[in-house]
Amino acid sequence: MAKTVLITDDTAFMRMTLRNVIEKNGYEVVGEAANGEEAITLYQELKPDLVTMDITMPKVDGITAIKEIMKIDPQAKIIVCSAMGQKPMVIEALSAGAKDFLVKPFDAERVVESLRKIGS
Amino acid sequence: MNEMKLDFLRELANIGTGHATTALSQMLDGKLFQLVVPDAQMLPFTEAADYMGGLEKVVVGIFVVISGDVQGHMACLHPLESARTLIRLLTGEDKPEIDEMGRSALQELGNIMVTSFLNALSKMTNLLMMPSVPGLAIDMAGAVWESILAGAEVAGEVTVIRTRFSAEGEAIEGHIIFLPDEDDFNKIARQFGLEEH
Repeated sequence: MAKTVLITDDTAFMRMTLRNVIEKNGYEVVGEAANGEEAITLYQELKPDLVTMDITMPKVDGITAIKEIMKIDPQAKIIVCSAMGQKPMVIEALSAGAKDFLVKPFDAERVVESLRKIGS
Repeated sequence: MNEMKLDFLRELANIGTGHATTALSQMLDGKLFQLVVPDAQMLPFTEAADYMGGLEKVVVGIFVVISGDVQGHMACLHPLESARTLIRLLTGEDKPEIDEMGRSALQELGNIMVTSFLNALSKMTNLLMMPSVPGLAIDMAGAVWESILAGAEVAGEVTVIRTRFSAEGEAIEGHIIFLPDEDDFNKIARQFGLEEH
């Protein structure tokens, strides 16, 4: 069965780009969240195998969402996809529980490689 | 204007813009070729508007508030035609009006350009510079300026970096505006070993 993915990004364009890449490579996108708050709710509803997480988002940011999701499910597999690649932010995301950090703009191969590595 | 400060700014602009346009090129699958070395200017508010084509020209502005070790404001401005070209290259769709997906594509592009610029400066200075969720405005440059500068206490001069590049033979024009708070500008300068006189 295809692994399921929840996409989190505040721009519809990036959600569409990620969805295309993810679906083309045999994963099933089960939901799209436009901010951290939606990601937390959808994570509980959909129990996806993998989550992609933007950092800078309205309402609830990605770091807070990672922490909350990790509280709900310490086994959660979250991959950060953010333009904000500054060292303190990467360290904060990884210590919050994220398994990988992709800096935008990323190429499709890098996304797939991360899904394979983290999802296995 | 202190010559050394302007030189320093030009250097920041070159590095930051280099990273921002590399990011843009990656988003466009390598379809972008930079034509002109970025030109950085520190100008009084009113002259800055002229430098970018006047207050009445319709532009697309993507703007963020910077927080962290450095505080301030930053924006990307594109003339409407350039913005349309960018949307077409990003989404593959050519529509007369800028629809929701077009706005979203521009917002993400502006966000990635601005953040890449800040990431480059952060790496060199070890100072954290976090952009907010980007805002987007399509309006006459004067009105977009107001949106960008609302909250920014611009007393005198603003830093404007002009870039021109082309993608698949089409010229794209853009302006990057970097407005660190005065104290924080000095903080960046000090990290580079420059002292204010």
